[in-house]
Amino acid sequence: MDETSAWIFFLSAVLATYVWRFAAVMISHRIEANHPIFEWFTCLAYGIIAALVARTLILPSGLLALVPLWHRLIPMALAFLGFYLLGKRLWVGIVFGETGLIALMWFNGIEGF
Amino acid sequence: MKELETNSRAVLVGIRNAFGLPALLLFSAMTGFGSFAHEHGFSLYMSMLSTILIWGLPGQVVHVELYGMGAPLIAVVLGVAGANARFMPMTLSMMPIFDDSPHNRRWNYLLAHMISINTWTEMLHTGPEIRADRRMAYFLGFSFTCMTSGIIGVLQGYILFESMPQTVSLCLIFLVPVYFGLIMSNTVHPPFLLAFVLGCILGPPMHLLTPEWGLVLAGLISGTLAYLMRHKLPSPWNSKEGNG
Repeated sequence: MDETSAWIFFLSAVLATYVWRFAAVMISHRIEANHPIFEWFTCLAYGIIAALVARTLILPSGLLALVPLWHRLIPMALAFLGFYLLGKRLWVGIVFGETGLIALMWFNGIEGF
Repeated sequence: MKELETNSRAVLVGIRNAFGLPALLLFSAMTGFGSFAHEHGFSLYMSMLSTILIWGLPGQVVHVELYGMGAPLIAVVLGVAGANARFMPMTLSMMPIFDDSPHNRRWNYLLAHMISINTWTEMLHTGPEIRADRRMAYFLGFSFTCMTSGIIGVLQGYILFESMPQTVSLCLIFLVPVYFGLIMSNTVHPPFLLAFVLGCILGPPMHLLTPEWGLVLAGLISGTLAYLMRHKLPSPWNSKEGNG
């Protein structure tokens, strides 16, 4: 790997992320804090993060792509059930989801077990 | 939330609240990233710096992936910018929380850098319960703890890249969508919930349409629709919701 070009690429990636944060702070200094537009920004953030979650789950890159789609969807559904039916405790949802994933991998003999 | 008399007390409470699920999540997610970066021939040094300086996992992954593929610089810049564009609306929606705080506004540029989905939801939920002049200290304590556990995660993932069973890495990585899915769907504000549901539906097809800007496009459409419909949605249902 060529050292210099690796650093140029890296610093560009750093800037390509920070530019959003920087622009947002600049803009926020020009708007009143109780302006309704902030609710729109929050809606946008929710939409983008939701899209990210769904994409990670349905069209993953990397390790998650090794297990079939329903190995990801069923544990996710279990996590939601555990969370919403048992008093909205995060760790309960996570335990449900992870247990489901491990059980599915176990029964279907994904390599590694 | 208790009155936080001093800034150092607020920092400590922030650190304590980050210990537990938020820190564990960053640790797991970044373990995945550490292994991923190692696999693509990145140095440990740059992998850890990536977590500190980019501090946004999707962009970090895109950077490693595209650079590893030998993509041109412009593709890396656009790919990372698209994957991490959520920081713009997230930062914008978080800034009003610090509005009554007496700090110099220049600090906001540092605060904005510390925003991640974790620290953002934490501040949106507990921020308003904290005294205005202690919010910055609380946020810094919370987010630096998250970042530190993320860095330790990269280190462990990088070092254990080959010896860690694949199933363990898989479980660690699976934590991320589960955790974010749960905390983001758990909102009492109807437009946010609608934005979340629409985003989930639109995310995958938009990604197929344009891998670089799919997230932004899906977020723009679902967020704007939810915002426009905010007065037509039922008011918060925390009072009577008996059929759940």
